[in-house]
Amino acid sequence: MSSFVEIIHISTLIMIIIASFLAVVFKKLLPSVIALTVASLLLSLEFYILHAPDVAIAEAGIGAGLTMAIFIFAIRGTR
Amino acid sequence: MKEMSRIVKTVTNFVYGFIIIFGFYIIAHGHLTPGGGFQGGAVVGSAFALLLVSYGSLNSQKFLKKDILSLFEGFGLILFIVLGFSGLGITFFYNFLANSGGWFGNAAVIGVNPGNMNTGGVIPLMNIAVGLEVLSAFGVIVLTMASAAEFTKKKEKS
Amino acid sequence: MKKIIFGIAFLIFFSFLIVSAINMRTFGEPAYSEMDDYFIENAQSETGANNVVTSVVFDYRGFDTLGEATVLFTAVVGVIALFRGVKK
Repeated sequence: MSSFVEIIHISTLIMIIIASFLAVVFKKLLPSVIALTVASLLLSLEFYILHAPDVAIAEAGIGAGLTMAIFIFAIRGTR
Repeated sequence: MKEMSRIVKTVTNFVYGFIIIFGFYIIAHGHLTPGGGFQGGAVVGSAFALLLVSYGSLNSQKFLKKDILSLFEGFGLILFIVLGFSGLGITFFYNFLANSGGWFGNAAVIGVNPGNMNTGGVIPLMNIAVGLEVLSAFGVIVLTMASAAEFTKKKEKS
Repeated sequence: MKKIIFGIAFLIFFSFLIVSAINMRTFGEPAYSEMDDYFIENAQSETGANNVVTSVVFDYRGFDTLGEATVLFTAVVGVIALFRGVKK
């Protein structure tokens, strides 16, 4: 196994954990939603590295696009 | 929800068509390249979400009609079920068009090849049906939630 | 007292997770691969599609996709029923 791919794996997973932690920690709602979106986008990158481009496209479309739009609509509606 | 600034609207005007064309490309080439109906529909739905976020729900109701989208959704699901029941002579979801020589009926070359558009049997038709269903489903969800957010905000203000 | 019991239960559960993660099979080497080999060998000649994943999703496991489409339809019906009083 080439070590370059393993380095990308490990750094992507560490960034996913950091982004998820930030999504929990942030007090304001909008930065928290954006951190969740970043975590989802990095998860789609991880799926692409694991040779599953189908799941990567679906994750990037739903997790990073539609979920953020729906959360932003909900935040704009409630405040 | 109010419309955003001029920069966001200009970038949306540039990018919107390309995103929708890319989504329909993923749907139509589902039997040759990675992707399929669900993925392409999600891409087109995210384009609808981009339009809604940048232009606001009141302005984008001129381009996106909720009734037409829900009509498309029911049409896609019914088309998918009809295609599933069409192979019922042998089994449920039998691929009755594959290798028959008619529509999408050419035999695929075995091995690694660039691909022929006219292969796959019912799979491209099912891709189109599921893609139509998924894109209109996401469009209806996003449109309904945007107008509901607008409504609750106006109600709280009054 | 309750916190201590919950902590011990959490530690036992977590140690089971760690043990199963250590004993996990390496990526890309399943225990039984007869089904995968059948799909990879015969999917192109049986369904005529180049993309084996799509031929599994829409042809061999078409019933699953029907359930997924029905779930999405039910979600849309639920959203419309939830916001039915909203006039634009």
